Parts: sequence; structure tokens; C-alpha cells
Amino acid sequence: MKIFKFMVSKIFLRKAILGIGIMLLLLMANYITFTAARSVLSTFQGYQETKYVNQEGVYIANLDPDSHIDMSIVDENGTQAVYDYLNSNFKYAFYTDGFMVSVPNSDDMEISLGYLNEQYYKLNEFELSQGTDLDFDYQLDGEIPVLIGKGLSKTYPVGATIEMEESVLGRPLTLKVQGVLKQNAYHSNYYALNSKTYYNFSIIFPVNEKFIDRASMDIQFNGLMDIILLDTSEEEIASLREVIKDNLGLSFNFFSQKENYDYFNEYYLHSLKIIFITTFILLIVITCLSVWNASVSVRLMLKDFTINLLVGLSCSKLKKIFYGYFGMLSFVNVALISIFTAFNRYGCWLRKDAAFATYGLFGLIGMDWLALLLVAVSDMIIGIIIVENMLRKIKKVPISLGVLQ
Amino acid sequence: MKKSLFRLTDMLELSIVYIFCFSLNLLMEYAKTLDLDAYILKAFLKNFIDYQPLIVSLFTFIVIVFHYQMLERKKAEIFCRILVGGTAFGITIRYVLDCLTVLISVYLLSALVNFRFGFNLADNFYLILIFVTYILISAGRVRKYENI
Repeated sequence: MKIFKFMVSKIFLRKAILGIGIMLLLLMANYITFTAARSVLSTFQGYQETKYVNQEGVYIANLDPDSHIDMSIVDENGTQAVYDYLNSNFKYAFYTDGFMVSVPNSDDMEISLGYLNEQYYKLNEFELSQGTDLDFDYQLDGEIPVLIGKGLSKTYPVGATIEMEESVLGRPLTLKVQGVLKQNAYHSNYYALNSKTYYNFSIIFPVNEKFIDRASMDIQFNGLMDIILLDTSEEEIASLREVIKDNLGLSFNFFSQKENYDYFNEYYLHSLKIIFITTFILLIVITCLSVWNASVSVRLMLKDFTINLLVGLSCSKLKKIFYGYFGMLSFVNVALISIFTAFNRYGCWLRKDAAFATYGLFGLIGMDWLALLLVAVSDMIIGIIIVENMLRKIKKVPISLGVLQ
Repeated sequence: MKKSLFRLTDMLELSIVYIFCFSLNLLMEYAKTLDLDAYILKAFLKNFIDYQPLIVSLFTFIVIVFHYQMLERKKAEIFCRILVGGTAFGITIRYVLDCLTVLISVYLLSALVNFRFGFNLADNFYLILIFVTYILISAGRVRKYENI
């Protein structure tokens, strides 16, 4: 430890510019690795979450991009007719969110409401930290059981009631907290798997047929956009497409399991490949620059290193000192990336951005920690390349010649 | 070139670090113009584009490293030149001119690429200001080696 302190303070820090140079290059390498790792992990999480749509007999609805929405044609009777058809002929998973309401809470966040039916709830297997599962067989004029995110559980523990002045039913509602979702429970967008909204400040609202019948057109119409049809066939889908066209004047696409896989392979795998290749090339370039920087350091500090070797410092000890020094720089960089990420995440709390507010150790969520682990692995690889290259350069010069430099 | 502190390898090294910085800036400018359908790629690139000036500026530190190591290596040569009749002023001027020659050549090359891709020629200009500052600061160090 004494010799390590001596080498760092008397040799490395005496030429601090070289150390800062390596540190900045490493910081860039870490940032690139961290960003790429998070993109891939987030996409993977999204894929895992929405894997259920890749099953035979499952079709996911999507408004045809060429279909123009004419709101003068879309009316409550039309949407109701579509839901009547759905209720009598299909098993479907209904989910829609993004309805913001003001519910008093300790963090003063705007609350997002997510509406889902029993089929969707079963497919997603929501994990609870407290309370019991949702009950979909409730009376509309009584207390409606709901799930809430962790952020709301401080103000509304299990069993508490939430009074909502306005609702999609057009009248005040009383909600009863049935359970609390695990922290950082999320929902991924079907068409952008790496994009998520977190449920920490959300209320998950169970909907049944009666609820949809009485709800406003907004929720009915939005729910149709991402509706998932289960255990069905191409023929039944074709007739549903006709019903939607006749009642709402809209063309819908329904993607099957094969189309979902094709979409994933074409869209996501291709994008992930580009991210992987870009990251790899950038890391190689940065590693080359770091090796150049390290060679420069050896060139300028050769005399100091060889004098120490002359007076009894062994090569293996020098190797350990180099790895220790590199580990120190790497640790500082990983800490900087962590602080930067934690600050970004904390920004969502400051902006009162309920959809992205997350909980975690030092402000970082699981995905961030996993990405930091990958950063540490990449640092180790870059570290081995740089240190071994430095040692090779030092060993190439005879001690007597190095001392005379 | 005969009286210059620069050898061919030094010129090459300096050109490479300048080219790297200009290319990085150019790549970011190019990334901004991409019309990507894939949200995942857009989100990935946004992490870099949002911090473009900071990232490019941090990378310019390798130019500081070059100037620093170049002058550290040449301190004996500077001292010897002064010993045989050279002046610190003359050495400094030649050093600055050599650095500027390399910088201007690389900038013209990058301007050509900018022009080819239809980017604004001023996009790279802030790097010139940064690099000229580095050259002037490092030129001030030449005088330091008058007496070693």
C-alpha cells in the first residue's frame, strides 16, 4: 500500500494531465457502454413483459397508419356497438392509461390512471408488495377496489379510500386500495419496447363489461387502439375488422404471432445490431486512444519506473500497482456515471413527472445497476489491454537504458 | 521543417488527434440529420446528441495530452537549440506555426466533408477556437524549458 501511494502521488499525479486524459477516455467508454447496455436491457425487459402477445391465437389491434380518424363519424353508439360485438364473440384483454387526475399525495404528483380488464390482469401477472389481487366483480355504485403504486402507498395504505371528484363515468367515485404494486412496476409500449412508464404514482383501475358500457367514449375509443384478442382466428378477426369499419369508419390491423415475431426480428434485432456495432466500434477507437495515452505515459515516466525497478520493485508488484491505479480511475468513472444517472432520475421527481419517477438504491433502479455491472466488465477488459501494453513497453527497455533517460 | 520541433511522426500524431475530434463532431452532426423510424435508435442517439458540445469538448483533451507530451519530450532539444544560438521566441513561433498548419489542413479537410454532406461550415468552427487556445497555452510552456 505504501509503495502504491508513493507511485500514485510521486509519479502518476506529477504528470496529472496524462491521468486525466486516460480518465476522460475511460469516462466516454463507460458512458457509451452504459447507454448501450441500458437500451438493450430495457428492450429485453419490454420483450419479456409483452411476450404473451407472441402466442398462437393472440392478435393485437393497431390503427392502420393510413386510416384517417374522422371524429364526426366516431360516436358513443359506434364504440358501444363494437364493444357489444367484442363481448359476445371474443375474449379480449383491455388496457388503456395516461388519464391524469389530481389526487392528494405526499409527493404532490399528478396521478395517472390505468384501466384494465380481468384478461389483461391475468396476462400481466402484476406483482404486489402488500394487499390482495384485484376483484373485477364489484358494484359501480359502491367502493371500487384498485391497486396503487408504491409512491401512493404512504398516503393511502391498503384498505384506505380515495375520493375521486371526476371520473370517466361522469360522477364522483370512491376507490378502495386493495393492494400495492411492487416498487418500479412498469408498462412497456408495444411498439417501443425500450420505452416504459412506471406505476409508482398510478392507480390501476379494474374494468368490467358494465364499467366499459357506462364509461365515456374516450376510454372506450382509446382502449380499442391496443386491444388484445385472445384464442381467436383469422376469420373472426376479419369480421371484427368489418364491424369496426362499419361503426367507426376506421381501418384496423390485427397482428398475429408470426407478424409480431417478424416485426421484432426486423425492427428490434436490426436496431439492436446497429447499437451493438456502433458501441463496439466506438469502444475500439477509445481503447486505441487510451493505449496511445498509456504509451505516452510510459514514454514520459520511463525513468521513474526503471529507477524503482532498479532499487528492487518487482515487475509483478509494478503490475499490481498499474492495475490498482487503473481500478481507481475506473471506480471514479463508474461513480461519476452513477451520480449522473441518479441525478437524471431525480430530475423526474423535481419535474413531478409521475410516469418516470422511480425508487432505488442511491436513486438507481435494477436496470441501471445491471448496466453499471457491464460497464465494470468493459473497464476490466480495457484495463487489461492498457496495463499489459504498458508493462510490455517498460519491459522492452533495459533498466540501465531507462534510468539514463 | 529542419528547425522545427516536429518530426513526421509528431505531425502524424497531431493530425490523427485533430481528425478524431473533427470526425466525432461531424458524426454527431450527421446523427442529428438521420430520419430514423426506430424509436430505440432515436432514444440511443439522443443520449449523445443532447450532450454533443460536452462530449466533443471532453474528447479534445487528447489534444492537450499531445501538446503536453510533445513539449515534455522535447525539453532537452529546446534547451540544446537555445544553447547553440536559437531563441525561445523563434522556437515558440515555429512551434505555433507548425501546430496551426496541421490544424488548418485538418479543418479544411473537415470543411470539405461538411460541404459534401451539406452541413453548416460553422459547425466545426468552435473546435478551431478550442484548439488555438490549446496551442497558445502550450506555446507558453516552450519558454519554461529555456533553463533546465
